[in-house]
Amino acid sequence: MKILLADDAEVVRLMMGRFVESLGHKLILANDGVEAVERCLSDRPDMVLMDMLMPRMDGSEAARRIKQALGSQWVPIVMVTAVEEVSKLADAMESAVDDYILKPVNFRILEAKIKAIERTVELHRKVVEQSAALAEYYDRAEEEKRVARHLMEQLVNRERLSDPQLHYWIAPASSLSGDLIASARTPGQVMHLMLADGIGHGLTAALNVLPLTQPFYAMTERGFSLTDILIEMHRKVRQVLPAGRFVALAFVSVDFVNRRIEIWNGGIPDIRLFDCNGGLLKRWKSQHLPLGILPPDQLDLQTERFVFETRASLVLCSDGLLEARNAEGQTFGAVRLAHASSGYYAADALTSTVNSLADFLQGESCHDDVSLAIVDIDPSAALPLPEPSPQRNELPETVGDADWRYLLSLGPHELRNLQVVPLIMGFIAQTRSLIDSHADIFLILTELFVNALDHGLLQLSSDLKSSQDGMERYLLERALRLAELKEGRIEIELAGHTLGGGKILRIRVSDSGKGFPYEKAGAPDIARPSGRGITLVRALSTALHFYGNGNTVEAFYLPRSAS
Amino acid sequence: MTAIVEIDGQTGRLLLTGQFDFSAHRDFRQASDELLTAATVHDILVDFQQVDYLDSSALGMLLLLKEKAAAAGKTLALVNCRDTVRQVLEIACFGKIFTIR
Repeated sequence: MKILLADDAEVVRLMMGRFVESLGHKLILANDGVEAVERCLSDRPDMVLMDMLMPRMDGSEAARRIKQALGSQWVPIVMVTAVEEVSKLADAMESAVDDYILKPVNFRILEAKIKAIERTVELHRKVVEQSAALAEYYDRAEEEKRVARHLMEQLVNRERLSDPQLHYWIAPASSLSGDLIASARTPGQVMHLMLADGIGHGLTAALNVLPLTQPFYAMTERGFSLTDILIEMHRKVRQVLPAGRFVALAFVSVDFVNRRIEIWNGGIPDIRLFDCNGGLLKRWKSQHLPLGILPPDQLDLQTERFVFETRASLVLCSDGLLEARNAEGQTFGAVRLAHASSGYYAADALTSTVNSLADFLQGESCHDDVSLAIVDIDPSAALPLPEPSPQRNELPETVGDADWRYLLSLGPHELRNLQVVPLIMGFIAQTRSLIDSHADIFLILTELFVNALDHGLLQLSSDLKSSQDGMERYLLERALRLAELKEGRIEIELAGHTLGGGKILRIRVSDSGKGFPYEKAGAPDIARPSGRGITLVRALSTALHFYGNGNTVEAFYLPRSAS
Repeated sequence: MTAIVEIDGQTGRLLLTGQFDFSAHRDFRQASDELLTAATVHDILVDFQQVDYLDSSALGMLLLLKEKAAAAGKTLALVNCRDTVRQVLEIACFGKIFTIR
């Protein structure tokens, strides 16, 4: 160590000085208090041995000055003092002096004290080192969080959350939320909404939910169903997350046209549907384990459906909202949430709930991420039927005129196992000339394909679909018949033609079934366009023809150009 | 949270007290490892009588314990679950994969 020895007596400086040096330390000398302070600042010793009584400035004052000048840098000061100066010593020890040794100095004790102080100096050095390392680590962590937050925002794509029917609020517990709200519309304008809650909160929780975003958005865009997307998200979570990590998830599908709500809830608190008087219309409890726990083939895909008639609000939240605690230790709870969110239309319900929580907390912070989403279930929110397109006179007579053709021929096995329309939409998405017609083509294709399969091959009747559990029975019957289908074939052809300088798309679907009385098809039900059916296809296409006994349909579609 | 291990013949009991959250990580793991490695123990019980709070990290820890218990050929049950604990386990549908009493 570097030891500063301050004493006005030369003989002391010589004797103690030599002793200190003999112990292997480096010696710095000062003759009085003033010099002691100067040498301390210039040489930065590890320890100071100072006489109490010195001219110009005494030991106590020098000690005070040294400690003040050095600030946060600590140097141990040991006062060499006579017994008579004890009260002065006590004062000095209270503010600046760390230890003392009595005169006449016992050199054995001096040696021991120096060793003891060495230990303390080492300890102090370690603390400073660790503090610096911690500060650096903290800075790096904050930077990483900033990058992660940016990434999250890009992936979640906040613009996509600007659906007019969706009102939401996210309040992270720290700077980054481990909860995720994602929303997108299928080409058929069905709203898909997901509320995901990863384990814990902050960065690690946010990372848990990240694998969900890509399948959710990409597959919704293609028109995949809720269950298809769930399977893929579950697979991703299993693949990517370490053992013991899972994602609680509520997946909501709202079809404003057919007025159907379908929900899969794995680990999210009760989701409630309130009418505008605050009455509870339906409650979806968590029925499933969160994603990522069960092996892929054991995932239970059972959803719960509800057909709505009047305007209502669908309220979803993560447990962070319900478990928010105020200073008295009470939790916000489901009752307060119900009270705050019911009886309003969605936008007001959200404001009401946010305010209610703020009032409840009275400034207390939440220990978990809070997420709240309210969907405005508005029966009149369905997009209107498109204007019928102008008729074209020239239509290609032979297939030879096509620039390109895409043909699919599918038997029972393929029909059971392939997601046919999304598959074809994958191809359409790649075709530049059809980019803006994505939604229209999806609707036409879905309608024609569903007709061919459900009515042509499986011989199901639409009449079942209209009532509440009629839909359940229809789907059940459909699943049974599809599983048992032994023979039959559906052929789908898409072809692009150039006609008079522009492009036209031909979509042809034929099935090997018995056909149907197509003259009757297409009577529009303006009051309640359930399924829309052929009416929609007619409205979207330039021309629609039925051949054979109705088991071949051909639609001509004029692609939209970028506006 | 504190985790106390009680072994009674073939049954190993993990008595938990307080808040079961991320900070309980180390204690929980140490205590469960003790039961997992004890040769005489065949049935592991996690006792929630004194637990007043359970969060998602705790659920994760239980999942990991379930895996390790299965690998060690021991059974696992969650016992004396009341109020908040029961509610959290119910929302997560843990009854589908755990024995809960």
